Amino acid sequence: MNDEEMLTRGLKALAAEMEPLEAPETVEAKLLAAFRAQQKVVQMPRRQSNARYWLMAVAAMLLIAISVVVFRWNAGRIDSPPQQANKQEQPQNIQPENKRPSLEQFAINVENQTSNPLPQRRKPRRVNVASYRPETAQVANHTNEIATDFIPLGYMNAANLQDGGQIVRVKLPRSALAKFGLPVNMDRYNEKVKADVLFGVDGLAHAIRFVQ
Amino acid sequence: MNLKNDLSDSELLRLMLAGDEESLALLYRRRQGGIYRFALQMSGSKTIAEDVTQEVFLFLMREGHVFDPVKGSLSAFLFGVTRNHVLRRLRVEQLLAPLGDEGDDDVSAVQAATDLCPLEDLTRAETIESVRKAVLSLPSKYREVVVLCELQDVSYVETAEILGCAIGTVRSRLHRARALLLAKLRPVAEIEETGSATVKSARCFA
Repeated sequence: MNDEEMLTRGLKALAAEMEPLEAPETVEAKLLAAFRAQQKVVQMPRRQSNARYWLMAVAAMLLIAISVVVFRWNAGRIDSPPQQANKQEQPQNIQPENKRPSLEQFAINVENQTSNPLPQRRKPRRVNVASYRPETAQVANHTNEIATDFIPLGYMNAANLQDGGQIVRVKLPRSALAKFGLPVNMDRYNEKVKADVLFGVDGLAHAIRFVQ
Repeated sequence: MNLKNDLSDSELLRLMLAGDEESLALLYRRRQGGIYRFALQMSGSKTIAEDVTQEVFLFLMREGHVFDPVKGSLSAFLFGVTRNHVLRRLRVEQLLAPLGDEGDDDVSAVQAATDLCPLEDLTRAETIESVRKAVLSLPSKYREVVVLCELQDVSYVETAEILGCAIGTVRSRLHRARALLLAKLRPVAEIEETGSATVKSARCFA
């Protein structure tokens, strides 16, 4: 008989002999027990997770409520008497939106800032919405914007601003904030930030402020 | 129950993953035989075969969602998982086995051949035993193709899916495996022939 045929017969005989072999019944019993245990384990966390979701929802609601209270409290502080006095002065500076912004006022502001440049550059004040809303409205129609003070650029000359100028809204990389000593959120480093650049009649940028 | 018997493996798996115990039982009864035999033929150990069968279905219970019907049948998927478990288990067993038990594949084949008495080898059961030993003595990459294609009657395409290789590779490995098996079994056949001659002469003298 041919070797190949013998081998094939031998393999078939082996396969036929092993055909009835099966795993013992204990294996099935163990598997079913494990399956039941797994189902219990799967069901248990569902209850816990529901409770967790509720807890998180309540916590979120509380956080929102606290934020609203704090925000209102801060707004109340801004309206306190000394600042209200300033607020009364501000309406004089407000001009209609369609007119050219008061560059003289900006020049005065910038000049004041240049007379004391270092603290201003190192720690620019983040302007509160309530107090600076009117000024922001001079440049853009977005009344809800928050803007910093104008930060003078190195070659600022207040005299040039007396002749007029122009404020241009631009978008800058957020990294530009760091150049003016403003804090940068590294998570949003690649995003753009709005800024108003104050150009003089000489065509040079004299000051900049960042808008949110 | 009868309705579920008609369901495909994939549908049973879906129901099982949704928490249906009956589907697991059906799927197990449908596939455990092949899995167990494959593990047994690969390892030569009933203990390993039992453990592996259990591990394979436990894996299916926990990670069954990784099965993709587009890539192949559930049967092929289960054979693939079984293969991985068996090979892992054999590696562990090889590390834990005493040095004396460890040997080259060819050496074990020769031992398997010479340990057999020629007269006893005439019986069918022992012929099967010699084939079984020869198969077990093959290197794992040849053993798995012999077990799948020759003993489990799995098609070349499915074998290729299970092993994660090309059909051509399956064919060439099977060819090589059969050549190795013949080489291992040939001494047995020769002894068999010599043995039968001895018996005849003994009878003449008697």
